Amino acid sequence: MSALKTDVVIVGVGAAGGILAAELAASGLKVIGLERGPRLKTADFMSHDELRYFQRQDTRPDTKTQPVTWRPNKDARSVRMDGLNYGNQAGGGTVHYGGISWRFHEDDFRVRSSTTERYGAAAIPQDSAVADWPLSYADLAPFYDRVENDLGVSGKAGNIMGRKIDGGNVFEAPRSGEFPNPALVMTHSDTLFADGTRKLGYHPFPTARAILSQPYKDRPGCTYCGFCQTFGCHVGAKSSILVTKLPEADKTGNFKLITGAMVYRVDTDDKRATGVSYYGADGSENSIEADIVIVTPYIYDATRLLLLSKTDKFPNGLANSSGLVGKGLMAQPGARAFAVFDDQFTNLYMGPSNQKHTIDDFNADNFDHAGLGFIRGAQISVSCAALDAGPIGVATNMTPPPGTPSWGAAYRDFLSQYYARYVAVTSQVEQLPYHDQTIDLDPNIRDAWGLPAPRLTYDWRRPDELKRVAFMQNKVQEIGRAMGASKVWVGGTGNGSPGGHPSGGTRMGNNPTDSVVNKYGQTWDLPNLFVVGSSTYPTISSYNTTTTIQALAFMTADALVNKYKKSPGQLL
Amino acid sequence: MSTHDKGRRAFLINTAAGVGAATTALLPETQAQAQAPAAAAQPQSMSMAMPMPHAPAGLQGAGQRAFFNEENAATVAAFSERIMPGAPGKPGANDVDVVNYIDLALSGPYKDFREFYRTGLNQLEAYCQGAYKKSFTDLTDAQKDEVIGALESGKATGFEWPRAQQFFATLRTHTIEGMFADPVYGGNKDFAGWRLVGFPGAQETFTPADLQSSGPYTRTQIMGMQSTGRRTAP
Repeated sequence: MSALKTDVVIVGVGAAGGILAAELAASGLKVIGLERGPRLKTADFMSHDELRYFQRQDTRPDTKTQPVTWRPNKDARSVRMDGLNYGNQAGGGTVHYGGISWRFHEDDFRVRSSTTERYGAAAIPQDSAVADWPLSYADLAPFYDRVENDLGVSGKAGNIMGRKIDGGNVFEAPRSGEFPNPALVMTHSDTLFADGTRKLGYHPFPTARAILSQPYKDRPGCTYCGFCQTFGCHVGAKSSILVTKLPEADKTGNFKLITGAMVYRVDTDDKRATGVSYYGADGSENSIEADIVIVTPYIYDATRLLLLSKTDKFPNGLANSSGLVGKGLMAQPGARAFAVFDDQFTNLYMGPSNQKHTIDDFNADNFDHAGLGFIRGAQISVSCAALDAGPIGVATNMTPPPGTPSWGAAYRDFLSQYYARYVAVTSQVEQLPYHDQTIDLDPNIRDAWGLPAPRLTYDWRRPDELKRVAFMQNKVQEIGRAMGASKVWVGGTGNGSPGGHPSGGTRMGNNPTDSVVNKYGQTWDLPNLFVVGSSTYPTISSYNTTTTIQALAFMTADALVNKYKKSPGQLL
Repeated sequence: MSTHDKGRRAFLINTAAGVGAATTALLPETQAQAQAPAAAAQPQSMSMAMPMPHAPAGLQGAGQRAFFNEENAATVAAFSERIMPGAPGKPGANDVDVVNYIDLALSGPYKDFREFYRTGLNQLEAYCQGAYKKSFTDLTDAQKDEVIGALESGKATGFEWPRAQQFFATLRTHTIEGMFADPVYGGNKDFAGWRLVGFPGAQETFTPADLQSSGPYTRTQIMGMQSTGRRTAP
């Protein structure tokens, strides 16, 4: 048992926690970061080993010791999920992610208002919890700039202060300038996608990535080795927290990282958070006293920690006077097509893997939904079959075309012929929030520390979502054909369990009755307890989450340094 | 098996065991740090004359495996060969030594699967005896495919745990892993799995010309972790 005292304790040093650690420590605050996993370094990622990193999920949580369970509805029995796609070390998911870097659209922050204005309130499903964010794109824009410039993002602007630029994303929200690095080199599959979608009248552009296309801030450019998503970068070209904000935090002299630390409780008195308690790597029970507690782990653990920290004063868990902790779990279902080419190779194993070139023509409210029977949309890209593009990923994730079995001589010949001659056209589909899609504590399954596993009750297959997914299934097949493929077929859409980028559980809002935190991630109930991450999203967009998580982290850090430090208490 | 082979095998078993202990995350920081020097040292020892981790030809089914007995190994080899059958110019599961991969995996990282395999193989034997009065290995290829099809569709009777579909799915996945994982794990012998599909392996870099080409990649040889000498300890 050891007790430390500090100004700020951060639970989870990932996409958000790493930024908060560096920014707060630079302001002179003493910061302790607690991280469940180890702290790895670039030299630890020399192995180009698909079995270890993609298939056996090293760098991601071990589902045996850190289970997460799922059930489609409250009457079903929960089962352990067999793969978890979030980080499990310092740097969190930024270590193994594909570096996809989006700014949300302006209307992504105001889905309720923008939908109502254009289609009337009746267009929003009655049972949904669709809400505007308590902040606008314009509020967050300067912090998106910080993310792109501090960490190092590569891309092509499509809208600089309202001026639309061909070749960039003409649907993007206005930005103040170009990306700090040009887009990564186009691959042949990007060219096929760009040509095909242009033929259809759409607007293709290179996906922005937190991967360096050229040397930047003493780090080298990408080598296009292809061992990218699910892998740590062996040259440090991926702008993960490990090679960006953690070294910055170290240099301040005000930051201490404790690895192997499993936080099991936020400690409170009746009015404030007083610190956290955690199991150390050696199994010891430890406490840290802190003036500010910031909870930034993956969304499942953010909700779990608030629920585990219940007291007599807070019998339903911390920050839960609204009753909304754990509610509004969202994710992005995928609709995709596979396309194969008899006359050319695509060699998708080269370069950063998923979500290469993109179109945004059917995303957000970028197209007219009148008469379609659904709202919102999807980001559509050319991709590989799995998170990575190695042969294990393809053979375990690519559905063969109808009529071809998944084993035997015909399957062998299919793989042999098309492994290097296919693309997946994928749509990452926005899902609306619903309060009966939840994260809570599993009463039956516990983790290696004896704590109840996070339990997801979730099934995205609702009317609005099914129509949106069916619409996208047609689009991705249309694009596959326009790319000149010899054969195009549609992939499955799964069993209803969460798809990409699960978010929600501690939603932000304008008042304490309908949200858990304010726009700064400050909980309404305990003014020195903050939650920062995609758990606070009221709506999810169809985009990957990390860049917005990081912009929010910069915004919270700014508010803590420039407002809260001078006058601790409710920021709003 | 020569003494040298035995030593090599022991090395591989230990390596394999380390791979799947898999709880890097749970290692105390001190222990994680203590591993770093070992990781740095490994490439040299690997590149020093570490032969490829494959049993010599003809050993298959002759005992001396890390986990399987002779009969289990023969059944798994026959099963995986039907999942990915070999043909002239098209290497299959036995050509790349998938059973060796699975055997090594079960001796370490997949030790939680041992009972799954033991029970599953017993159920498979009982099913084949019931339906054909023969062991799986004694069936014709067409009969083996019937059995695998019945597992895949869940129609094979007598499977409680593992269920028929679970058993099929796991053997398929492990066969795929043995076909396509880096050869240091004991399958994908001589990169034959990668050659089958046209994957050049652990390349260091691809050039803009490589990325933009619409042809097959031929600029360099296939690279494995052993050939690059770049493998870090898990």
